[in-house]
Amino acid sequence: MSDRWGRHFLAAQKKPAKLSSSVEEDALRHDVATGAICREVYIHAERMSSNTSVTRVHVSSVGQAQKAPVHLMPCEIEHNGSAQVSQYLTATTKDRKYEKTVSFRGRGLKGQELSCPQGYTGLVLKEINKPGSDQEDRTVKVSSVFDKLTYWNLETPPNSDDTIVMAMDWPELAEAIHGPVED
Amino acid sequence: MAAKKKRTPNVQNDSWVVVAADSVIDTDRPERDPSFVRLRNPSTDSASLYMLGGDDLQLYEVKAFEEDFHSWFVGQTVQRDGRLLFVTPMDPLFLILPYLIKVGKEGKFQPVDQVVMDEEFPACSRLLSCTRSQASLHHIAEEKEVGSLKFHRYSQEKTMTWLKKKVERTVVALKKRNISVGEGVKSTTYVRVKSESDYHEEDYLRYAHGLISEYISEDLSKALLIHLELPELTSPKETEPPSKKRKLSDKPVEAGEDYTKFNSADFARKPPKKMTAAQKSLAKVDKSGMKPMSSFFSPKVKAEKK
Amino acid sequence: MDLSPFEKDNSVSCRLASQIPDVCKIEDCCLGIDEAGRGPVLGPMVYGICFCPVSKKEELKDLKVADSKTLTEAERENLFQKLDEARNFVGWALQILSPNIISTSMLQRTKYNLNALSHDTAIGLVQYALDSGVQLKEVYVDTVGPAEKYEEKLSQRFPGIEVTVRPKADSLFPIVSAASICAKVARDRVVKGWNFSEDLGELDTDYGSGYPNDPKTKVWLLKYLDPVFGYPQFVRFSWSTAQTLMDSKAVTVHWDDDEEDGEKAAQRQNNRSMLSYFGASAGGNNQNPTHQTHRFFTERRLKSLDTL
Repeated sequence: MSDRWGRHFLAAQKKPAKLSSSVEEDALRHDVATGAICREVYIHAERMSSNTSVTRVHVSSVGQAQKAPVHLMPCEIEHNGSAQVSQYLTATTKDRKYEKTVSFRGRGLKGQELSCPQGYTGLVLKEINKPGSDQEDRTVKVSSVFDKLTYWNLETPPNSDDTIVMAMDWPELAEAIHGPVED
Repeated sequence: MAAKKKRTPNVQNDSWVVVAADSVIDTDRPERDPSFVRLRNPSTDSASLYMLGGDDLQLYEVKAFEEDFHSWFVGQTVQRDGRLLFVTPMDPLFLILPYLIKVGKEGKFQPVDQVVMDEEFPACSRLLSCTRSQASLHHIAEEKEVGSLKFHRYSQEKTMTWLKKKVERTVVALKKRNISVGEGVKSTTYVRVKSESDYHEEDYLRYAHGLISEYISEDLSKALLIHLELPELTSPKETEPPSKKRKLSDKPVEAGEDYTKFNSADFARKPPKKMTAAQKSLAKVDKSGMKPMSSFFSPKVKAEKK
Repeated sequence: MDLSPFEKDNSVSCRLASQIPDVCKIEDCCLGIDEAGRGPVLGPMVYGICFCPVSKKEELKDLKVADSKTLTEAERENLFQKLDEARNFVGWALQILSPNIISTSMLQRTKYNLNALSHDTAIGLVQYALDSGVQLKEVYVDTVGPAEKYEEKLSQRFPGIEVTVRPKADSLFPIVSAASICAKVARDRVVKGWNFSEDLGELDTDYGSGYPNDPKTKVWLLKYLDPVFGYPQFVRFSWSTAQTLMDSKAVTVHWDDDEEDGEKAAQRQNNRSMLSYFGASAGGNNQNPTHQTHRFFTERRLKSLDTL
């Protein structure tokens, strides 16, 4: 850390004011002796402490977790909470030969089911007892499980080029990259 | 129609949709709960999120599939955060390696638990509890045993051999999975220039090298490129006209040649799905008579008999 | 009129038709086009054609078909019955555009406006009559938009047929009145017996005329507004009445093709260009800005996280 500070300090001193662009340098130039350095120390300390905190996954909760249908929607819904998914979405979904169709808020969606990769399980994690600060450890539980999901495109028929389909390549590639190599 | 509302930030997110390796939940004792931890990312040198399994026996990487404008329905609820997190087993050696390299410059054999320490990321010492860590240290370090004590010293030579095997494994997986490693992206909107079988072995090697480089420092990545006998690509990507086709040759490339021609291969050319301003304004035009409406007339023609 | 093909799936567009009278395949025919249910925020829009030999125009007049809007529902049903009885020389066909088709077309990425939808539907029905062997010579159309342009469009599309597009054609030409009666009867029946595909239990069906200014319709729209889904597919989401209610009472939903104000759009252009796909993998305190995530990950929109 002292190296970086030194460099910033020098840079701030050398540069003419109008050329200095970074906020950090500006802060140092105006407030060289006290405020800025204190602030950086504070940020550094905070970053370190959040690195020490862990988020525990309450795994035994998986036993009580319900299997839930999950849908990846092609829009951002500004809401976290309950929704009459089965009454509206599931009830009006049409299973056609190569795709499912439905509409949401008057927009036509096309989608398909996608299975979790072999050896993988879908989990929905939910935070319990949210701590007051980010220094404290957090706990999440498994609130639902799934083995397939339905993803929806806005008007476009589902396709093997869809990013979510391609993303499912990852576990198998990860196994190749991270699996043990022979001697 | 009313003006569209602005997006508000999603504060206080408290649930996540995850696809996790079965081993994550394959534990029956609460004291063996896995946990998300922050560790030093060997490629970026800054914090990334990982997971340690029960008793720290297994390390996992956490990656998020994230596309703008997505949300989840989970059962009878909405989850605004549309990310999908992947929790996949990870080789702990990748995270241990930078610490060994750092100390290895001193050239001494040292007990590894005195090497893998980081005041900014205290959880890093837990990496040594992973089943595979102690058992595979010999891939990246020379080992010396004195009595019951083990000492290690970083070995670049061993590391290169180890990384090369990783690259080779990755090439096999890329082929098996039919991952498009050539220029451009497999896309139905573009005519494919080459079929998968046309890809040169070098395309695969380079691609696999790029993937492995996500887990090692830039210096090590360059060294690995040399070890794989792949010439380094030097010129900046921006100067490459995107239309320039990559030339392939069966002949080994001589050092000193101009390698700029390879650069387009590194550039993903998938067209953005969003429409350009021109397409958008075109879209607003009255399409009367321009579109065959056959799609609106289902084949359910029925002659009435009453 | 058997509506079951539409009722089987009322989320799409459906054509219903009478049998083609044999005489229409031999003699020169006239054909009228009219629509029902253009304005309402609820239910389908129905396009109707009716046709008969030019020589039978007087007989059609004797049936006393008149502009459907001036008739009561009972009178319309009665007249439709008469048309049906005249099936040896009068034929008809209908295109029912479900409210869902109207919503999803008008709100499509490449917007498809109601006029274009109407014109294309009318053209589709005339083509259907031609394909069925009806010897079309004259076509009469009621219109809400500018008549000349539409007339030109139809004349070009159907050379050899004399096209007359006229506002209030349904009160001027009996064959248009007949088409209007068929369309309106179908629309009334469909709305009255609407089968909600949503699983919402017993619904109050006292939704009035479906016109946005009808107090009953307003009450119904308030009663059945769902905070997440908005409305059942019975409602035309593309109507400003529905949009305004959802804007004020439902949760906000954003799509990637939402219109945004200039500043934000510009910001987006900068922030979410191709470059963003090559962003560094970790979060804010990245100390290695030269690191570029491999395209395997950027193409799959996969990235590392620095916090949960």
